[in-house]
Order: sequence, then structure tokens, then C-alpha cells
Amino acid sequence: MNAPFPDGAPARLDVAIAEKIYPGAEASRGARRAIANLHFSLAAGEVGALVGPSGCGKTTLLRLIAGLDRDYAGTITLPAHGRLGMVFQEPRLLPWRSVEENVRIAAPQARDEDIAALFDTLGLAAHRGDFPGALSLGLARRVAIARALAVEPDLLLLDEPFVSLDGALAQRLLQEIATLVEARRVTTLIVTHDLDEAIGLADRIFLLSGAPARLAHEISIATPRSAMTQEAARALREEARAAMAS
Amino acid sequence: MARILSLVALFAVWQFAALESSPRYLPAPGAVFAAIAQEAQSGALFSNLAMTLWRVAAAFVLAMTLGTALGIAMGRKPLFDKIADPWLVILLNVPALVIIVLAYIWAGLTEAAAIGAVALNKLPNTAATVREGARAMDAGLDEMARVYRIAPMARLRHIVLPQLAPYIAAATRSGLSLVWKIVLVVELLGRSNGVGFEINTAFQLFDVKLLLAYTIPFVAIMLAVETFLVQPFERSVSRWRPRAA
Repeated sequence: MNAPFPDGAPARLDVAIAEKIYPGAEASRGARRAIANLHFSLAAGEVGALVGPSGCGKTTLLRLIAGLDRDYAGTITLPAHGRLGMVFQEPRLLPWRSVEENVRIAAPQARDEDIAALFDTLGLAAHRGDFPGALSLGLARRVAIARALAVEPDLLLLDEPFVSLDGALAQRLLQEIATLVEARRVTTLIVTHDLDEAIGLADRIFLLSGAPARLAHEISIATPRSAMTQEAARALREEARAAMAS
Repeated sequence: MARILSLVALFAVWQFAALESSPRYLPAPGAVFAAIAQEAQSGALFSNLAMTLWRVAAAFVLAMTLGTALGIAMGRKPLFDKIADPWLVILLNVPALVIIVLAYIWAGLTEAAAIGAVALNKLPNTAATVREGARAMDAGLDEMARVYRIAPMARLRHIVLPQLAPYIAAATRSGLSLVWKIVLVVELLGRSNGVGFEINTAFQLFDVKLLLAYTIPFVAIMLAVETFLVQPFERSVSRWRPRAA
């Protein structure tokens, strides 16, 4: 891995954050350290999962990586070209534009056949012309995922993409994302509080301990996901639980 | 149907009142419509209406464009808002007449002064309305646009303006009625044509018939603009909203 792009820029994601502080209402009081001493990297095409309890700073970290918040100490190096696809916790679609327009506005250079293929895979073909207000949350999430992939990202960021979907639907969406990410070899970072989601999707799992967020343990999954057995998954869960407990 | 009956009743009251008073103070509807026909035949009605409508359109477009730009900037940039807000408050409270007279004194009795003065009267109102819209914009969509590096013009068209549309529509509705009323004052004070000028003439001659002969067609046109342009525009910008069954 780590194959450099033709222009020599590295294809990997490097995150090295010394500190991220949320200033309090007053200068001295209430300031909160959200992240402390957090280092990790992802090679090109790898899928990483940030797992930790709610409120431990996962989303904050994702926002730093996405460049939405630049107020931190440290360095973040995006994969070459740095084109991002991001699926936020809420779908964040434009309610006044159709499903297809929502994707095209973010990805004006995408080819028709690529968008059609994405829509087919994600079960959106029949909803191209719908306004987002007419969609269920599950469908709206799919549109957000189609949008994120249509830009052909160098890095795909997923912030709890399955939250508030029912179990079966979440499972199906997870399979679809896994298939798409694998087929396109997109470097992907997913934030989740659910260990099973991480095991189902990631090559590497970064366990975070909360407040301020720091790396507690890292798990590399060598087995291809398709060959993952129940026992192997259980063993990974045990390893993660033990790490979180210590 | 109720609207039509109500209009008929209005004309009936007018007719009755005209019978009871001197035609010098209140001419009957028939006499006024005859005067409209006469002014139309001579062509004066149309040329004056056209002049006034052009001034309304020019001042309106100018005020809406600049006011919207100012409103967006003020709603988005707190520092700029702090600096520009006192100016806006002052401008909102300067009487229209003062702005008009000053414009004529400083820039002469010109078309540019007339249109500029009207636009300046409407501009702060638009800016204040659009600023509310800009403050209420969805920060999540803004972040989405940043992540996807959506180009500035596309952002304006697909993200900013649709969110501001209800505010712009409100400013349009209130703006149009404000602008055409002020245009008449501007014409009365410093132009040699237009509906306002004719109304001034009618005033000098104490000719209520002529005054109404210009007022009625003009009000009818503005109502038509409201019904056939402004309302469809409002509907088209809210077409995406899911309707309650």
C-alpha cells in the first residue's frame, strides 16, 4: 500500500492531533479538552473505524479531518487531492432539489452512467426525481451516501451512518456500503459507537476512550470480511471489550 | 364570488355617494371611466403609465438586488453587521420625503436621482428582511457545501437563494407596494411625466375626475402584477415543500 500518486503526494491519511480544546464561555473557566494526543493513519484503500462511547469526541475528530474546524494543535494530512465525500449524521440534503440534483450539485463532473450505477446499487433508481421531503430517513441516508461516492472521493468520511435506522435496514445498508467501498477501493473512515458495525466494515478499528478522546487500542482485521466467521467476530469483540475495560 | 360582490358593493357606494355630493368633489364612476377612455384615446394614459412603471421596475430591481446582497452580507458576517447596522437603522428612519428632496437637491431633477431616491427608500427594508433569512440559514448545509467544495455561484443558486426565497418573496410583496407609492411622490416633486405628475396636474386644476382616471388603471396594473407575477413566484419557490394532505 502507500502507493504514491503520480504527482508524488502520499495516498494515505495521517492524523496527528496534539490537542483540541473547546473554549468555555469564559476564558479560564469551562474550557474543555475534546481530544488529546491522538495519532493514527490509514493507507490508501483502507477502511478505518473510530469506535468509542457517545460524546467521546469522535464527531469532533471527523470534523477536524473534514476541515470544518481548523482550531486545533497538530497536523492532518489528507490523501492526495484531498477530495472528500462525507456522510453526516443527518442526511443534509437540499430539500428544494430533487434526489438526482442533490447528487449532481455536489458532483458536477460525475458521468451520467456512474450516477445511474450508484442509484441502482443503493436502490434509488425509482426516486431520482423525488424531493427529499418525500423520502424516509433510510432513503435519505442512501442519497447522502450516493452523493459522497459520486464525487469519487480520495477519502470517505461516514459519521454514524446507521444511527436511528432499524436493525435490518442498518444491516442491509452496511452491506451495500461495504460492497461499494471495497469495489472502489476508497479510503474510508467511519465513526460509530457500535462495535459490530466497525467489525462489519473496517480493516482497522481504533478504539477511543472518552473525554478527552485518545487512542485506547487498535485492532487490525487481517481476515477478508467475506470470510469472517461468527467465532472470529466474537473474538474481535472480546478483544475490544477487554481493551475498553482496561 | 365574495370578492366580486364586494367590488360591486364598493362601486355602488361610490355611485350613491357621488349622487349625494358635487361632481367637483366626487365624480360618478361612469364619468371617471369616460375620462379614462379619453386619456387612453389621446395616448397620454399609456405613456404616463409606461413612464411610471419603468421607474417602479428600475427602482425595485435596484433596491432588491442591492438590498439582498447587503442583507446576506449582514446576516452572514457578524462584524459587518455591527458596522452596517446603525447606518441601516438611520436609513430606515429617514422619512421618504427627506431622501427624495435631498436626492433632487444633490443630483438635480434627473431620472437617476428619482430612481435612486426610490431605491434608497426601499433598500434598508429589503436588507433587514433578507438579513433575518440569512441568519436563519442552515449551518449544516453550509458545512456540506464546504466539504464538497461547491463553487460560489452554485452555492448561491442552489443553497443560499432557495433558503432566502421566502424572505425575498416577503420583501418583494411589501417592496412593490412601497415602491410604487413612493414613485408617485418622486414624480409629483420633480418629473414632468408619469402618473404622479398627472396627479399633481389634477391637484392644481382641482380635477378629481382626472386624478381618479389615473389612479384606477395604475392600481389595477399593480394588482395584476401582484396576482400574476408575485404570487406565482412565491408558489414556485415553495413548490418543494411537502403539502399537508
